[in-house]
This record gives sequence, C-alpha cells and structure tokens, in this order.
Amino acid sequence: MSARKQGDGQPEDGGATAGKRLKIAKFSEDPEKKGLSRRLKDAEISLPIVYGTIAFYLGRKASESQSHKWTVYVRGATNEDLSAVIKRVVFQLHPSFNNPTRVMEAPPFELSECGWGEFEIAISLFFHPDVCDKQLDLYHHLKLYPEDESGPQSTKKPVVVESYDEIVFPDPSEAFYARVQNNPAVIVPRMPAGFNISAPVAPENTSERERGDTKDHPLSQWFMNFSEADELLKLAAARQQPFMEMIYEN
Amino acid sequence: MDAKDILGLPKNQLPIPQEKKSRPPKEPQRKPDGISREVYALTGGLAPLMPSVDVSQLKRRPPSDEKVTWQWLPFTNSARKDDLQLFHWVRVVNGVPPTGDYAFAKYNKSANIIKYTDEEYEKYLTDPAWTKEETDQLFDLCERFDLRFIVIADRFPSSRTVEELKDRYYSVSRALLSARAPPADITGHPLVKPYNISQEVERKRALSMVLSQTKQQERKDTEVLAEAKRITESRMAAKGPEESELPAVANIGPDNSQRAITGDAVTPSTAMPSSAIAASSTLMADNASTLASLRMLRVYLRTYALDQMVQAASASAGLRTIKRVEQTLQELGVNLKPKVPTKAVCAEHLELRKEILTLLNLQKQLQYKEAEGTSFQDSPYSETPGTPKRAPRGDQDRPFMPDPLGFGGDRFGKRDQKRKAPGRTSEAAQSPSQSKRPRKMKASDI
Repeated sequence: MSARKQGDGQPEDGGATAGKRLKIAKFSEDPEKKGLSRRLKDAEISLPIVYGTIAFYLGRKASESQSHKWTVYVRGATNEDLSAVIKRVVFQLHPSFNNPTRVMEAPPFELSECGWGEFEIAISLFFHPDVCDKQLDLYHHLKLYPEDESGPQSTKKPVVVESYDEIVFPDPSEAFYARVQNNPAVIVPRMPAGFNISAPVAPENTSERERGDTKDHPLSQWFMNFSEADELLKLAAARQQPFMEMIYEN
Repeated sequence: MDAKDILGLPKNQLPIPQEKKSRPPKEPQRKPDGISREVYALTGGLAPLMPSVDVSQLKRRPPSDEKVTWQWLPFTNSARKDDLQLFHWVRVVNGVPPTGDYAFAKYNKSANIIKYTDEEYEKYLTDPAWTKEETDQLFDLCERFDLRFIVIADRFPSSRTVEELKDRYYSVSRALLSARAPPADITGHPLVKPYNISQEVERKRALSMVLSQTKQQERKDTEVLAEAKRITESRMAAKGPEESELPAVANIGPDNSQRAITGDAVTPSTAMPSSAIAASSTLMADNASTLASLRMLRVYLRTYALDQMVQAASASAGLRTIKRVEQTLQELGVNLKPKVPTKAVCAEHLELRKEILTLLNLQKQLQYKEAEGTSFQDSPYSETPGTPKRAPRGDQDRPFMPDPLGFGGDRFGKRDQKRKAPGRTSEAAQSPSQSKRPRKMKASDI
C-alpha cells in the first residue's frame, strides 16, 4: 500500500476546494501533496446515489420522432448535493441525438431530452482530483413505455426507473476525508477518538450559489424511496428461517 | 454475379482472387530460359528465392573481337615456402597471359600466435601446473593446427582436457600482451577477455547432459517448466492481495480448528462438519483476496463489489448449485440483487448466500452418507428391520416423493442420533423448500 501512497503526485488545489466549490479550481503552483498522499487505510468513504430516468408521454403534443420527454439524472440518495465529490457527469446518448455526449459540470446532474426510442445511456462520473482520478461508468436503460400496455399512456404518470447504488472509495485521501467529513451526502466512517483532521474553511453561504441538492426538485415527487430497513428486515427474516438453522446443528 | 449485383456488393472482389490463384499454378510450368528443362527440374520445379545464376549471362558469348586460346603454362604459388613450379592450363586472351599471383594464395591464412622467449617465460609465464616443455609443445601445436584445440588436445603428448589447454593458452597470451604493450593499448585486443575455465567445463557438461537426455526426460522437463511458469504467473497475480490475505487466513485458522474440535465432540460423524468448515475457510480466503483486489481499485460501486464477493463465494460451487442458491433466495422472498445495496444490506446478503451454500452442501453430503448407509445395511445387521425396504433407497431410484412427512420421517428415523431436533426441522423445513426437496433426490442431481 505504501507504493500507492508515493505514487500520488497530483497537485492539490487546497484553497479552491475549501468551499466545496467545483467550478474552475485553481491549481496552486506549489503542490501540497501531503493531503493527497496520506491515505486512510482500512477506511472507506461511500456516497449513496440514485440514478435513473423519468419519462413523460407527451400526449397531444407528441409527434412520430418526439413522443416522450424524458430526463436522466444522478442524484444523492437523500437528495443532498453531490458536487463535493462529483466534479462532472457525462451522459452518452444514442448517436442519433445531436451531440450525443452531454457534459454536466454543475449539479443537479441531469439532462432532459425528447425522443421516441429506448436505449442504453452511459453515465460517466468524474470526481474531484483529491477524490479519485479514475472515472466510474454506470449504465442505465431508458424506459419510455410502461409495463402494462393496457390503454393509452397517460401524460400525468411518468415511467420512472431508478437504481440505487453506492460509490465506494477505499483508502480515501486525507484531504478528501477532511473535506467531506461533515457533508450530509457522504457516508464517512467513524474514526477513533483523537483522530482529528481539521476541516477546511467553512463553506460559503449556500444561497450565493445555485442549489445543488435535489430536495425541491420539480420531479422529486416521482423519486422512489429506497429504504434500507426494508431490505434488512427481509434478509434477517430469511436468515432466521427454521430450516436455515440446520446448518448450525451439526 | 447477379446476386451480388442485387446486394450491391462490389464486383471487383471476385477477379482479384481469381487472378492470384491463376498465377501460382502457372509459375512452375514455365521453364526459365537459359537453363535446360532437366536441369531446372533438379531444383524441384520452383525457382529459387534468390537467383543464384544470372540467367541472362548464361547465353552470353564472349565478344568476338577477343581471341582466346588455352595454354599449358607454369606457375608458382606464393603461399608455398619452397619454390615448387607446377603447370596448369591458362586462358590466354589475345596472346597475353594473365598476371597476378596464384589465385588461391590469398586463402593461406594462419592464426597469429604470440611467441615468447625463454626469459619472458621465466618472468611472466611460469605456472605450477605447467612445465615449460608442455607450454612449448602447446604453442607449437597451436601454430601448426591454427588454434584448433580439439586437434591439439588429441595430439598433445600428455593428456590434458581441451579446456585446460585453452585456459593455458589464453592466460599465457594475455600475460604476454600485458607485459609487452603498455596497459592502455591492450584493452581493445580480443585476447584480453578472460577465459573462465570452470564455467566452460560446467557449460560443456550441461550441454552434453542435454544432448544425452532420453525422450522421456525431455518430456518431463517441459512439463516441469510449464508448471513452474504457471506457478510464477499465478504468484505474480496473487502477489498484491497475498499480504492482506495472509493475516486474514491466519486469523481464521485457529477459529476453524476450534469449531472443528467441538463439532467432533458432539457428533460421531466427523467428516461432515469438518468438510463444511473447510469449505467455509476457503470461502474466507476467497473473500480476503476479493477484498484486496477491490481495494486496488480507486473507486467502485457497491453492487460491483457485491457481485465480486458473491462470485468468489460461489467459486467452488457448480452452476446447478448456484441456481439452487438463487431459487432458495427467491423462495425466501429476498431479491437476487438487493434493491437498496447499502453496506449493511450487502453484508447481510452475502452472509445469507453463504449460509444457503453451506446448507446445500450439507444436505448433499447428508444424502451421500445416507446412500452409503443404505448400501451397508443390506448385509449383516439390520436393527431396524423395516427400514431397508421403506427407505428412499440411496435416493437413487425414487424419482419423486409426494409424501412430505414420509421423507422426513424416514430420514430422521435412521439418523435419530445425529439430529438434535428432528421433528421441528422436518415440519418447518418442508414448507419453504417443499418443491425443492424431491427434485434433489434424483440421481442426476447428485
């Protein structure tokens, strides 16, 4: 693992990331490597996200080539702002679209389009330099038509397909940890008492910049609820099934 | 052709292969001029890659203005030390005989052997293993035979190996060179490179061994080499996760031995628990290496991580077993891929999968044991007279057991001493996996 530490030679934009701002970060001439090269071993920072599509049938306004209006997005699982971790998101659409490579530099990371066909959208997440230098690719199939084909489609009820997942960063850098330890969007491990990394300068007033969270997003009424508790309950119940206890009998 | 037209395929695809095909067959049939056909056939009917004979020159006739005669003339060879005069035919052009030395004189080359005087010998070249006479003889032979050490070794009066002779010769020459010339000059000289006698002996011995290997040994050698290559490759691959794996496996080692011991104390049959636990220890090892490889990635999705762990856990299981695990999961009402993959959920899911796998393994082993048990029961003792006939014999012949309790009862009747709570297990067990059990009794499943 020490080999990895020494390999981290990226210049850290210490000052610019203090405010959790993701826009034009100034790279300081004097690279402060300490924050990047020291990594928290045996710890992982995870970012729960939800990504998916919502598609509305256009009804009267529909044409042959534009029957649905859909939005593809990546949001925080609790609708918090992801921009502290994610620098930009690139959506790769079907080649029949104009400029199929759409880059979103600011939250909310979403894209709306009109179309008629279903296809696989490639979503590439790019992180801030102190988070990770590799991109992460997700794939989502755009669904426009509802499961049951009965009757005409409604313009009121959209077709929503969302996937919950967590982005795990093993061995995060100290700078990253320091920056996000109080960020509501990120799950940080609990460090032993006495472990202190000073958080950088207090974040700027949120009203000064655009809101990055999706709590009041226009489409938020359609967001699915992902409850961890449900799943855990089911799993626990399964493991306690009587016949499962046969394993421990012998 | 019309089909291609309709399809719109390019037409010129076809003529090119045709052209290429027609050319090679034609070549051997054509006889190059300049050589007669039979002579050409001697080469196997194919033209050589490089024309060894310039064909155009063959039919050329000498220019007619030259008058050529052949004469029997004497000649001398400058390479000879005596003045022997011999005769040979000489091609005379226009009355002028050719000039120059005998054509083959230039090939009379000999090796440059350094000669030493007696005083030089005294000063630099004395060696405990070699007398002066021997050294002199060696050098004389070297001169005569142009450093052909095989021949020299053969002719050498006292028996010395080729390597010894070579060694002596080279060291003497080197010593002489360094003595005579100032040090700066000799570095470029080829003799300066030392002759390593021991290495040479070793090398030749190894070569002769390789030469004299039997075919069987050769095969064995290649096998061993391939094996070694595979091992090193897998070792390289596992080198990263190896460090993290070792402590993990070490921790698990003592725990597993503990459990195995208690398991033995409780039940008479030791094979089942120990093998089940052995299976779980390999599962742990797989887990550790997957974890390590995940940590190599800078970032990953938890679903991806779960997939890797599941794969690692079911690496030892066959496809059918994996399918059964998934069926069990579905029957229990659990999603195959968790809808909300948080850390806790993924851990629970993985644990559940592993437990199901263990369960299935145990059940399979139980069936094996039963099969063995019933085959033994045919002979001497049968304390339970009714059992052999009633029992689902080795689960091999009875395809389907519609009566749920019948199966449970039989099994537990035979194995009463093993099961702790037979009644409870059989009743509760039937409902969720009712549909699964009978199928598992088929011989093909085992």
